[in-house]
Amino acid sequence: MKRVSKYRVRRFLGILFTYLGVAVALGFFLFPFLWILTTSLKGNEDYFSFPPVWLPTHPSLVHYYGLFSRGNGWLYFKNSLTISTLSMLAALCFSVPTAYSVARFRFGGKLFTNFLLLLRTMPAIALVIPIYVLYRQLGLINHYFGLILLYTVFYIPFAVWLMIGFIRDVPKEIEEAALIDGCSHLQALLRVILPIIVPGLAVVALFAFITTWNEFLFAVILTGAETKTMMVLVSSYTSGSPTDTFFGEASASVVLGIIPAFLVAFALQRYLVKGLALGAVKG
Amino acid sequence: MQRVVHTTVRGDNGICKREHGMHSGWSWRQYISVLLLACTLVIGGLGLSSSEAAKPYEGTTVKMIVNGEFLKYAMSLIEPALLETHGIKLEVEVIPGEAFVTKTLLEFTNGQSPWDLIMFNPSNFADYHRHFEPLDPYIKKLNLKLDLDDVAKEYRSTNMYWGGTLYAMPLDGDIHIMFYNKVAFERPENKQRFKEKYGYDLAPPQTWKQWDDMAAFFHGWGWDGSDNKLFGAGASYKENGFSLHWWRSRFFAYGGQYFDENMKPLINTKPGIRALEELVKTVDYYPPGVLLFESEEPKTMLIKGEVPMLVSWTSTGKRVGDPNQSLIVDKAGYGVIPGHLVDGKVIRAVPNTGGRSLAISKYSKVKDATAVVLEFISSPEQSLKIDMDSKTLMDPWRNSHFAAEKFRSAFPGAGEYLDAIKESFTYTVPDPQIPGSDEYRRRLSEAVTKALQKSVPPKEALDQAAEEWDKITKRRGLSKQKEFWKQQATAMKEAGVTFRPELADK
Repeated sequence: MKRVSKYRVRRFLGILFTYLGVAVALGFFLFPFLWILTTSLKGNEDYFSFPPVWLPTHPSLVHYYGLFSRGNGWLYFKNSLTISTLSMLAALCFSVPTAYSVARFRFGGKLFTNFLLLLRTMPAIALVIPIYVLYRQLGLINHYFGLILLYTVFYIPFAVWLMIGFIRDVPKEIEEAALIDGCSHLQALLRVILPIIVPGLAVVALFAFITTWNEFLFAVILTGAETKTMMVLVSSYTSGSPTDTFFGEASASVVLGIIPAFLVAFALQRYLVKGLALGAVKG
Repeated sequence: MQRVVHTTVRGDNGICKREHGMHSGWSWRQYISVLLLACTLVIGGLGLSSSEAAKPYEGTTVKMIVNGEFLKYAMSLIEPALLETHGIKLEVEVIPGEAFVTKTLLEFTNGQSPWDLIMFNPSNFADYHRHFEPLDPYIKKLNLKLDLDDVAKEYRSTNMYWGGTLYAMPLDGDIHIMFYNKVAFERPENKQRFKEKYGYDLAPPQTWKQWDDMAAFFHGWGWDGSDNKLFGAGASYKENGFSLHWWRSRFFAYGGQYFDENMKPLINTKPGIRALEELVKTVDYYPPGVLLFESEEPKTMLIKGEVPMLVSWTSTGKRVGDPNQSLIVDKAGYGVIPGHLVDGKVIRAVPNTGGRSLAISKYSKVKDATAVVLEFISSPEQSLKIDMDSKTLMDPWRNSHFAAEKFRSAFPGAGEYLDAIKESFTYTVPDPQIPGSDEYRRRLSEAVTKALQKSVPPKEALDQAAEEWDKITKRRGLSKQKEFWKQQATAMKEAGVTFRPELADK
């Protein structure tokens, strides 16, 4: 009996500390977001109150309204959504066939995958001026296409590198079975491999979407008034010592800026469980 | 004509005669009608042409670039009047401060810009001026009334002219003044305790020594009579453009100068080291988080009654006087920032941090209309409207702003506040205004904040900053930089700012 109760106590304490740890970690990571969320609903007089106003007594959406009526909130939101979605799709479209050819046909030789990663190490700040000059010559400044092209080019190396791993994990036997049944390589890729590597596609899609959504440097340098993105708007509110007047709008822009990325992550998270391919040839 | 014939047939002889006598067959009523119509057309035409003359740019859109949403808000205060007066639409684009200089200079150096009216920090005048239109030709051509004599003298050289040519008009004056909560200085208990501890009377500080004593005295207890643990003083010690201004107020008062005549940095000499050592020594008397404070945090602490004194930008006064935000509306005092007592005289050095100016882009396609917009925004009436609004962060810069009864009576103590700014003008020291000034300031600010974090000793931090300054100078060309510095050093010398390191020993 004693051994059983000791075991139970230990188990209880283990669960308790696990939950406590998780709660502390959650509090630590979520508190800033909670603060921003409540600030976006507070009145101007509450921002710097002491003691702090944790929850607004009269929550209001007035700052969200201000963001859309006074600022360019809707335009920038739409721009972010368009650019992020198209960059994500473009990254997927180009990285999957490239990764397939590397994984299955050793395209580019042994060093190609390492070379791909090397491209990722180049700091964006070093490229900003040459890219600006090139884009100016090509007339791509202040165009969606310019940004989408740039982001796609940036994400492809990492996406390909990631997808190579996922495709290599798919047993060759499945693909060979499809080929024997009369599929071409393209058909095998589209009909057999793609459904199996959905977790990999989800990771690439998530990475491309969130990185594009949060990107600031190129979004400010290569855009004009019509093509700026949400991240630029957030910085516009917080730059140059914002007054109390704009803390609400700044917070509202941050909240709005987070929602789409959160939704995409939420929608794709169930695909992020890797191991779909494991056991596909068992039995 | 039909009516005339009809009338003639119907009328008596007398009338017939008269009508025949007119030959045209028109009645006197018709003549009057035609006359009236003609008059109406002439007057209407005149009116039309005069209104066309008054609004020659009607329907034009002028694109303006600024570096923060609050500036867009400031422009929204005058946009309706601009549209009504000139028929010009103002479109304001915001580029965040972090990328503003890079983005605008990238556009300009490629020989174009999507903007017509450019807001810029005058500290970057050296980098920008070649992309601006000189204003004198427009003053002549369009008969612009810029009321140049009404601009405070201190802003004329720093914010408007480069190499003797007028390029810009101020949008925002930017100097530091001192703000204090009278409760802290007037409570008899505070006065008594202070005198017992420091041996002299408690009053708004005149020297940095007094400031430091008072910050230490006030820190950590309820100097307002409450049980709250309040703070000794407020400041903005964040790097990237903030902390260096608090350092330089002391640096120049102790006899400092940016460079010698050969562009050797002098920031790591005695005045600089003393100034930074004092800041480091007293940092604990400031609110926690002061190393991350930009301009608004300490202002808020002042108006909430949490700090007894603060040196900050002049726009603070409008928040102090706003009853919707401030708890110290009728308890606030204003003055010139402290200095250094030498032989019975207080040497003060008030940072003129440049503020903001407006200029016409050389690449604009609607330069005349832009010149008219510039004239409108900087007119005494419109600029006062912008400066008086507590949400704009814009500071007064015209002499008429300081004299405006509307402003002087805007809140209790507004007159005292405006007088303190005017008095501070006597002691202003400008930012470095040579090419790359933004880089020089950032490197210095990083060093100051690093020392305040106590991660590097003050002397070492300033040595590192001096090294960085040398690198910037070399990269930009020593002889070119020397030439620009020579101009600024001469102007500073004329204003009484020279390198006198011996003052740091006093």
